[in-house]
Amino acid sequence: MDFTAASLYGMTPQAPSVGPASAPISDPATTDPLGTGWRRLTSPANPLFWAGALILVTVGAIGVAGSVRLGRAQLSVSADKG
Amino acid sequence: MPRARVMNPEAPLIQGVASPNYVVNPNLFYAATRRMRFPGVPGQSLALGSTDTAQLRQTGIISGLEVRVYGSVTFGGTIGTTTVSYEWPYNIVQNLKLSANGQSNLVSCRGITLRALEMTTNPKLDDSGLDQEFGGATVNTGTLAQPTDDWGTSSSNKMGPGSNIAATGTYTVDLTFFVPVAADPTSLIGSVFAQSSATNLTLEVQWATEAQLLSAVGGGATVSWSLNWSVTTIAYSIPNVNGSYVVPDLSLFHQLAETRFGGLVQGQNELLLPGTGVGRRLMRIFHNVYSNGAPVALNATNYNGPLGWAFGGSDTPESYPTGQDARVAGYRVSGVDLGGRWGIALHDFASQFALRDLVDEAATSDLRVFFTLASAPTSGYAQVTQETLFAAPVGA
Repeated sequence: MDFTAASLYGMTPQAPSVGPASAPISDPATTDPLGTGWRRLTSPANPLFWAGALILVTVGAIGVAGSVRLGRAQLSVSADKG
Repeated sequence: MPRARVMNPEAPLIQGVASPNYVVNPNLFYAATRRMRFPGVPGQSLALGSTDTAQLRQTGIISGLEVRVYGSVTFGGTIGTTTVSYEWPYNIVQNLKLSANGQSNLVSCRGITLRALEMTTNPKLDDSGLDQEFGGATVNTGTLAQPTDDWGTSSSNKMGPGSNIAATGTYTVDLTFFVPVAADPTSLIGSVFAQSSATNLTLEVQWATEAQLLSAVGGGATVSWSLNWSVTTIAYSIPNVNGSYVVPDLSLFHQLAETRFGGLVQGQNELLLPGTGVGRRLMRIFHNVYSNGAPVALNATNYNGPLGWAFGGSDTPESYPTGQDARVAGYRVSGVDLGGRWGIALHDFASQFALRDLVDEAATSDLRVFFTLASAPTSGYAQVTQETLFAAPVGA
């Protein structure tokens, strides 16, 4: 179904519209569940959120494990009076 | 997008008036709009010989108007020879003008032209089998009457063009005229955008005088008219989809303009059509001739030579050998005998396949119609109507 002046009567507007008036409109779209901006990054539905969480947990676990195995490291410097 | 420069610099324009932001999407519009019908002019009395002006509501997209004339005529005293003219009944509307959105006279024509166009464009309408008085006889075809019409009825007596009033009495009257604002009631192309306070929709109706409607009134007769008129507007709502107003293709205006030509002679008459030009396409031409106040029937006797349309020097795309051939062609395309009684010749470029047949006025300079009369009409004149499409001031 194409009911336009061009298709029915072979006529085109003298001053073709530009901008919003001529922009095609899409059918109603579903809402993006991820949202936008920071809300998108922190959404549990975003795989990046879980990847980030996994990295944080891994780094934290490495830090804790190193502390337990090596104990508290001490560094000291002294100067010999000779 | 062109911007309105006075009222609101950011407002877009449709048909030259400021409007809310909109999106042109015919298919989405058809799915989401709603047809509306509301009073344009509430019922009110009309005075013959006067002109009534009305402002229509600024709502939606207007595709058509229905004008109703109703009431009664009372003949008293001694009826004598009281004769109804051929202006009755349709040309009680001597001129109906519709101006919209800065475009004056989108419609400017007589009542009979509105009726002829409606009978032509609506294939469901047919006047066959309806008894009406015409020219002093009862006829049942070619009157352009509709079953819902009342041309004037008082018990068994009827008023008819060219017929005498049989007896005194009160004759009821009821007529409707459809004013096609849109060129096509389906696509709504040619409709007027009315959803703006900047819109100005003016309807002006010039009513006939009693002397125009009655060609003779008996010396002892009295006539009293009690007529009313009303207008119903047919419009479509402008839907809002996803935050945007959606409209159909409103890039064109639809015009119905009638002109009278005098100075007709015996033999060939060639009439130059006024107002033609680049950007316009011709949909239909109607014309008929009057002699001594009566329409000249379209047949081979009255029109005994070529009838057609031409442009340029001598380009003649269509020509009929006689009026009878044009009458048959008019009947085939419209389904009613336009020429048999009212003498209307029709050149129809839109009904079969408009994309193919419309006449592009950019390529047809000096557009004209011609017809050949067997004899010079008495006080003769021709009424010529052009139905055209042309670009609205700013395309939507």
